[in-house]
Amino acid sequence: MAASVHSTAHGLIRPEPWLRAGGLLAIWLLLLILIVYPLLMLLSRAFFDDGQLSLQALLAAVTAAKNLRALGNSLLLAMMVGVAGTLVGLLFAFTVERVSGARRFSRLIDFFTFLPLISPPFTTSIAFVFSFGPRGLITYDLLGIKGVQVYGLTSTFAAETLTYFPIAYLALRPMLASISTGFEEAAFSLGGSRWHAFRTVTLPLVIPALANAFLLLFGCSLADFATPLILAGSDFSVLPTEAYLQITGMFDLKSGAILSLLLLVPAGLVFFAQERLVAGRSYVTVTGKAAVSAQHDSVSTAAGLALLGFCILMSALILYFYLLLFYASIVLAFGANHTLTLEHYRVIFSEGLPAIKDTLIIALVGMPLGGLYGIVVGYLVGRTTFMGRKAMELVSMLNYALPGTIVGIAYLLAFNDKPLALTGTATILIACYVFRYSPIGIRTTIALLQQIDRSMEEASQSLGASHLVTFRRVMLPLILPAFFAGLGVVFIRSMTAISATIFLVSINWTLITVKILENMTEVALGPAAAFSVFVIVVVVFVTSMLNVLLKRLTAPSLRVGRIGA
Amino acid sequence: MATASIEIRLAAISATFHHERRGDITAVRNLDLVVKPAEFLTLLGSSGCGKTTTLRMIAGFQKPSSGRIWFGGEDVTELAANQRDIGFVFQNYALFPHLSVFENVAYGLRVKRQDATLIESSVEAGLRQVGLQGMADRMINELSGGQQQRVALARAIAIKPRVLLFDEPLSNLDAQLRVLMRSEIVRLQKELAITTIYVTHDQEEAMAISDRIAIMDEGLIAQIGTAEELYQRPASRFVAGFLGSANLLRGTVIATGAGKTAIDILGHRWELSGDSPVTAGRQVDAVVRPEALTLAKQGSGLSGVVQRRTYFGDKAEYIVRVGEVAIQAIQWNPSLEDEFGAGQQVSLRLPSSNVQLLPA
Amino acid sequence: MSPSATDRFTARLSPKIDRRSIVFGALASPFVIARSHAAESLKAYSIWPENYARPMLEAFEKSTGIHVNFIRFSSGEALARLLAEKGNPQVDVLFGGPVETFTAGEEQGIFEAYTPPSAADLPKRFKSEKGQWTAIADDPLVFMTNSKFLAEHNLQPPASWDDLLNPAYKGMLQMADARTSGTAVTRIFSVLQVNNRNEDLAFAYMKKLRQNIQAYTKSGGGGTVPVGLGQAAGGIFFIVDALFTKQKGYDVQISFPKEGIGSAAECIALVKGNKSGAEARKLIDWATSPAMQSLLAPAKINFLPAHPKVAPDPDLAAVLKQAKIIEIDDKWAGENRKRIVDRWVAEVLNAG
Repeated sequence: MAASVHSTAHGLIRPEPWLRAGGLLAIWLLLLILIVYPLLMLLSRAFFDDGQLSLQALLAAVTAAKNLRALGNSLLLAMMVGVAGTLVGLLFAFTVERVSGARRFSRLIDFFTFLPLISPPFTTSIAFVFSFGPRGLITYDLLGIKGVQVYGLTSTFAAETLTYFPIAYLALRPMLASISTGFEEAAFSLGGSRWHAFRTVTLPLVIPALANAFLLLFGCSLADFATPLILAGSDFSVLPTEAYLQITGMFDLKSGAILSLLLLVPAGLVFFAQERLVAGRSYVTVTGKAAVSAQHDSVSTAAGLALLGFCILMSALILYFYLLLFYASIVLAFGANHTLTLEHYRVIFSEGLPAIKDTLIIALVGMPLGGLYGIVVGYLVGRTTFMGRKAMELVSMLNYALPGTIVGIAYLLAFNDKPLALTGTATILIACYVFRYSPIGIRTTIALLQQIDRSMEEASQSLGASHLVTFRRVMLPLILPAFFAGLGVVFIRSMTAISATIFLVSINWTLITVKILENMTEVALGPAAAFSVFVIVVVVFVTSMLNVLLKRLTAPSLRVGRIGA
Repeated sequence: MATASIEIRLAAISATFHHERRGDITAVRNLDLVVKPAEFLTLLGSSGCGKTTTLRMIAGFQKPSSGRIWFGGEDVTELAANQRDIGFVFQNYALFPHLSVFENVAYGLRVKRQDATLIESSVEAGLRQVGLQGMADRMINELSGGQQQRVALARAIAIKPRVLLFDEPLSNLDAQLRVLMRSEIVRLQKELAITTIYVTHDQEEAMAISDRIAIMDEGLIAQIGTAEELYQRPASRFVAGFLGSANLLRGTVIATGAGKTAIDILGHRWELSGDSPVTAGRQVDAVVRPEALTLAKQGSGLSGVVQRRTYFGDKAEYIVRVGEVAIQAIQWNPSLEDEFGAGQQVSLRLPSSNVQLLPA
Repeated sequence: MSPSATDRFTARLSPKIDRRSIVFGALASPFVIARSHAAESLKAYSIWPENYARPMLEAFEKSTGIHVNFIRFSSGEALARLLAEKGNPQVDVLFGGPVETFTAGEEQGIFEAYTPPSAADLPKRFKSEKGQWTAIADDPLVFMTNSKFLAEHNLQPPASWDDLLNPAYKGMLQMADARTSGTAVTRIFSVLQVNNRNEDLAFAYMKKLRQNIQAYTKSGGGGTVPVGLGQAAGGIFFIVDALFTKQKGYDVQISFPKEGIGSAAECIALVKGNKSGAEARKLIDWATSPAMQSLLAPAKINFLPAHPKVAPDPDLAAVLKQAKIIEIDDKWAGENRKRIVDRWVAEVLNAG
């Protein structure tokens, strides 16, 4: 290439190392300001009192009976939800993948398991109270049971399992799909029952995925703030809700900080356990060819029918909850006055319009930022080598791994005063969402990159392209699905998250989810339900658009799964 | 853009890796190599010998731990791969799945921001050269293995590089296609007259296409030369055993001089033309190719017993036991009269010329 | 020639619009979208729920042309916010909310003293000694119970504090959590007052009551709909929330304990460090005067007006006829709020 940059052995200024160094510096700066600094502020608030290291308050709080009880409750609940949710998810995944009659229903099941993932908070909780309470539609009106206690561990456990099992389903299904039924057939042909084949062949292969699903659900439950707020009642306290009440009720930032720390320990352990688990695994290669569906049942017909029936029942339950929600949004006063009305929708579009506008703006701005950030960091961490690469990967995951309550409190402490007073701005909300949810985009990018052979980049290089050009013309089109995944997640979460951002709303910027909570606590159920329905509709619409867009932009040979998963 | 072919020169090139568990590994040691302009040189060796590492260092994908590389007098050691003006054909083709055949081939030209009409004509010409005219609009996943290989080739030569590098490009193809493609590659290379370095572990392939072959072993070049030189005059036991099969018959030199040598081999006196690398009384290993041996029912030569006979149609392979030693012999175009069964006594007539003698 | 997919996509858009301008446009939008403000405006935290605050503040805007940007927090949350923002105040006015929140705030020094003209007409309990806050309404506590539940269990509406200890109510009462709600604090101080400020007696009662609690709610009115629906049997609420529930059509009963029950003044205050002082003062003037309070009855908002010149809604007055409202020493309450709430959290909340 005599026409391009002339080469000399010495004194050659290559623009690329500078560009990369600049990019890395920018990312580190963002990470330090928006992830590390708030967490440090949180720690300092917990450990220090006016500049003096004081472990007294910390020790007192850590050993206080009520806090330990909250911790114990959180762990117990998380354990139960982890096990139950993984089991339900496994049953669903198994039914769809291995029961030949279920293929027909798989799209339906996909839709029903998708709903809880994109719903605003409290959806399940509200429906639960109305269905299973002392005057619940199911317990009282349908089954005639009186005096049922709906608040407490059981309800919270059931509601959380219902809300989070789709995550396990989505994590386990591709695993089951990728395990060729050939293994089971081989085992089967060697004698023994179908159950034996499943137990000795399929199950061991699925165990890492099961462990991963369990950890995912454990973490979700640990961090869940919304469901326990409604359903846990006063007898069953959990840490996120306690921390929230300490701060918002007792204006006790220090106690809130300390309680967050208590939550940090199990959350951190879960995160690291997942890292170890995932590191050893090899990712399923995307070949563009659809997985070969089971040619026959892996289970007996009776078992197959039972499984299918179970899945249909659960899906029906989910559908029922959403119908209930919709119904509550169109009647004047649920439980008292069942006149149909559009009044609540009028209210949310008039009085609630600022919240709707704010939320949409924040979501739509955060979306591209989150998507871009996800693939840039994913590429840097997953494809290039530089000092502190592992550190960058860990730090970028922090805000995602930690419960929202912790992140929200940390942001509140860090950005309320100088040097960076961001409270009251949209920036703090957008930053919170971007840095909390784009790790999913980062992870997806890294996973996709692992499936793209290095020779692709080398080929581009050999043809004269610089790193930047290679990234733009080769890597970017290939990791487009990861970009869209990042877009989708940030948007969905911006519309539906609450546990972190409840601390960050202000007079200038407020969110629909906070409005829902407000309406709930003021028992204006109509508007709460109307807002929820609105959010669900918008999210479904936007993710469908993204999916359509992704399909059109991706070469047929590169099709991957849908967004929102 | 290269117009005249250039020479490639490597001086004292070495590559050391640090492996997590195995510690420091030296893949290439202190290697010197000169590739003549427009020459087709093959690096041949089994896996782990360092041939691919060497190729990647020439390409610029890997930095040598020491040494320098020149392309036609220009020191390219410090240059990144995208500045060396190379064409690289990968083992797995590395075609861009999201681009069509046309766009793949045009890629390098687009990077150089060439004029669109020029690109169009270059790509069409390139596709014609590899026999893929009319396939410009196909997507990569619609092509067969052989077709993908051709696209990879077309893509590499479209930019008219000054160096062509091949990393075992045919190993993923079936046998027939391999034979077809390798002659295509040679034909193209001769037409374009681009200095080419080719890496393979397949010795038949190497011998069929190369001007010269460099046999590599443990990071060093064991011997470099034409196919004949390497086959007829292997410089070491390793090379002798690597290219084709060879019997290494150990014997003691009885006398040598005036272009003739006499060797005592397995109790038999063997006279052949050629000088001995060692003085009388010392031992040598004689490299005797199986096809150079003749079997007879009796006569002068080594007496032995047939251990095994394998019939291939065009040839018959024999393992003959002479004393403690098992000797391989090949009989081409065997006729029914020349059949020797297992257990039969035979006489192996040793060749009287064209035998490489290696110091023992 | 087949261009790449992304090129195809971009090509479809108008040549003038390229990817970059879309990105820049999206990033710039929050700063570009102008927030249209009325010429004059102020910011407030409202402890009153939206459906009470909004009509009042809209009337204010109609009358004065000043727009009020507000966000709703429960009393504990509002106090926490104001404290956290002490160094960098975000609002001008704290609108509505029980007096105990304001006395606590006064203690923490988050208000600026301002005495509106109407203050002269108000009795002592409706204004702060130092002019730190002024009352805009009065809100007695009531017992509210579900009619069906009473019928099923053959009970009369509770007429005494001890009636709530009836085992029939086990796990069926909902009332506010003192950590977040002023309703709860007022309730606790009512119990203290009924017991002549004997803390041990009061706490003993509350511990017993705990056995019957189904849930402590985040906000004062959080339990009203569950009681209305029959999910809970009853609770203790401010009259404004209880009557609102009844008005919506839920079948509930309102009753009062014969020993007496407290009432909390609903107040307004000027936040220290406010940015729109003139507008804020206008709001305080308006809210503390008959101008606002005469709008309560027509809007069916069941606060008792604080200003003596405004007559309460006749239906409201009728309900309160049988009530024995006892006075809580707000100053004492403000001084001891934190201690009492801490003790409640430790001994009552966590005892269950």
